Amino acid sequence: MSDLEGNFDVIILGTGLVESIAAAALSKAGFKVAHLDNNSYYGGDEANLTLDELARWADNRSTPLEKYEKISSYLVAQRTKFTSITRSSAVPDHARHYSISLAPSLIPSVGPFISSLIASGVSRYGGYRLLERVGIYSSSKGLQNVPGSKGDIFKSTLSLIEKRRLMRFFKFATGKFESSNELQGHEQTPFPEFLQSKFSLPQEIVDAIVYALAFCASTADVTLHALTRLRNYFQSAGRYGASPFLVGHYGGLGEIAQGFCRVSAVNGGVYILDKKTEDITPPSTSADKFVAHLADFPSPLTAGVLIAADDQLPESLQPLLTKAQNTDESLMARCIAIIDQPILFPPVLSSEGLSGDGVNFAPVSSGEEDAGGQSSASTRLASALAEAPLVDTSIIIFPPCSVEGGSSIKVAQAFTTGAGTFSAPEGKYVVYVSIPIKDGEDPEALMEPYLNTVFSLASVSEPLFKVAYVQHISFPSSSTPTIDLPPIFVTPALPPHVAEISDYANSAAESLFNRVVDHLKAKIPQAWTRERSGEEGGGDGDVFAEIMVPMWPPLGDEEEAGEDE
Amino acid sequence: MSKQFQFKLVLLGESAVGKSSLVLRFVKGQFDDYRESTIGAAFLTQTVNLEDGTTVKFEIWDTAGQERYKSLAPMYYRNANCAVVVYDITQSASLEKARNWIRELQRQADPSIVIALCGNKSDLAARRQVTQEEAQKYAQEEGLMWAETSAKSGEGVTDIFTRIAKKLPTTAPPASRSGPGRAGTTAGRTGVDLNKQQRSITSGDQCNC
Repeated sequence: MSDLEGNFDVIILGTGLVESIAAAALSKAGFKVAHLDNNSYYGGDEANLTLDELARWADNRSTPLEKYEKISSYLVAQRTKFTSITRSSAVPDHARHYSISLAPSLIPSVGPFISSLIASGVSRYGGYRLLERVGIYSSSKGLQNVPGSKGDIFKSTLSLIEKRRLMRFFKFATGKFESSNELQGHEQTPFPEFLQSKFSLPQEIVDAIVYALAFCASTADVTLHALTRLRNYFQSAGRYGASPFLVGHYGGLGEIAQGFCRVSAVNGGVYILDKKTEDITPPSTSADKFVAHLADFPSPLTAGVLIAADDQLPESLQPLLTKAQNTDESLMARCIAIIDQPILFPPVLSSEGLSGDGVNFAPVSSGEEDAGGQSSASTRLASALAEAPLVDTSIIIFPPCSVEGGSSIKVAQAFTTGAGTFSAPEGKYVVYVSIPIKDGEDPEALMEPYLNTVFSLASVSEPLFKVAYVQHISFPSSSTPTIDLPPIFVTPALPPHVAEISDYANSAAESLFNRVVDHLKAKIPQAWTRERSGEEGGGDGDVFAEIMVPMWPPLGDEEEAGEDE
Repeated sequence: MSKQFQFKLVLLGESAVGKSSLVLRFVKGQFDDYRESTIGAAFLTQTVNLEDGTTVKFEIWDTAGQERYKSLAPMYYRNANCAVVVYDITQSASLEKARNWIRELQRQADPSIVIALCGNKSDLAARRQVTQEEAQKYAQEEGLMWAETSAKSGEGVTDIFTRIAKKLPTTAPPASRSGPGRAGTTAGRTGVDLNKQQRSITSGDQCNC
């Protein structure tokens, strides 16, 4: 690497989703990006790991400290983020054929994240599958499918008056509810209470709406936020199929982060993983740039701006950050279990399917029907019952009080992916069980009744492999940005909400991108003009050209003009 | 009726052995002595028409420089049907690197992947450090296709891609379309193309037989 090549506009530490989206956008905008990671894998806390990598991940964060001679500041930080880690001792065969996500997620089919996937060209790199089923569990009725469309509701066994009330609610929730009489003064009311008082819906339906459609995490989630989410999900349904949600292949967000990194690399970003950052010196009176020294690396890297995941910032730079006075910490108990039987859902009797892509259920194949001319409802029912469909990709919601010995206020979720998303070998399934937890509660005891229920739904007594841990997510309680001088931008923690994490990451990356671009424009205009001088040639095979969303903005008139020509 | 196949092809090899040049020669028939080190595109495509009427469309992925500090993402290898591992016949060290990449492929990629070892810069035979015998012997031992090429003169370039195209349909299942769908499996059938909005996903393999 020549001296000239070691000069960058931005050094980014960490390849988590936010950093990776920002790297792609900055490279695309013409800035020189060096993207580094302490880890040997991409994705940081959103990584997708093989089973043996996951076992190593768990061990590195749970091995007693005295067994380490020296421990990196990254690992020290990670060990406060991930605690109470336990795992099965034996790793199953074909460990490399699993792709396990540290941040399991459902991607809404409409929203800023999916817009970025398309606008950045990342959507071309990977594959996606529709979420097939949303289930809701109760101790009295067991596992039930959650209706995903108006049609499903009419086919359901609800009474006429309940159907009417429900339709009234759906009309309300898909409209401009912000200005409605119903919502006035109730924006912060707990959502279940709001549904009961304003729409007179029975408890069972309230539970389904609050927890399985709006994905609220507890009885206390407030109405406005839940309604906003719900409306977005309703709008998402139908874009790619019946379900509003997509599940990324190979573990989802970690794979997608790799896609954003590739976009950065294609646009000149330099990637250096698995190298320890020995030191980074901030700009000073004698040097106007950050200088990064990497272990076993020929020459230092310099840049005017530093972006870092909080745990990847070298210790020497930590004092430069104005620590937020207070941080709100939320805790999530998580368990990742590998099972060798599918979870058995009740069959879907309607031909149109439920919340998932019901088209591919084996029992009533359209081909056979066509050949036979017609098939009566009764034969269809019989065949559907005879061969319960194998559901590959699903989420089961456990509302408060749904499981004996479980929580009376919190919601547990069990998200399952299988070979259909290439996250497990054929016939194996990865189940991610999560429940919010308070400091001091025993995660294992809290988790146990839910795990047992999931295993019984799949008719397995023991998982093949299990990792359990508690994830700590810290949010600065004030929204004041981190320090302005020297220019270090620390990326925020992502909320552990299964359906919100991707859009949140995108918004965080967009805000980061805008702040960094503002800074670079002011501080180093030469970088700006260098890239606009036509060296890039506009790129005739430009994958970004089609759609412009705020994340991939026409940054200057020049670029826009360049692409028109 | 002619058969159509689409395959993902990944390029591997040490920096500066001519990976991108090889592809540019194959796809665009061009060569540039002083080109920059990355292609600057997500991937390039080129179609090969075989004598029996079969068309094979290659979706060619360049490393985008991520091989330089050993930072190629696993995503790069996913569902690759074939790989062209390039070395420079004037640099014996580059064949060593190629061997490493082949080991990596055998570890990471699908076992059915077709691998071609390609000695580039055959126009510089006067400065040759890697003999044909040595490379060919290694390729035979590992069951790889082998050829020498010159991205500069074009010698051998179309030939090796055609040989790969001929070998592929018989050894690997065809990709259903761009992206990682595996035809014939449930996953291939239900994969969603984000660039194609639809109300229903029943189109594709399921309908009109």
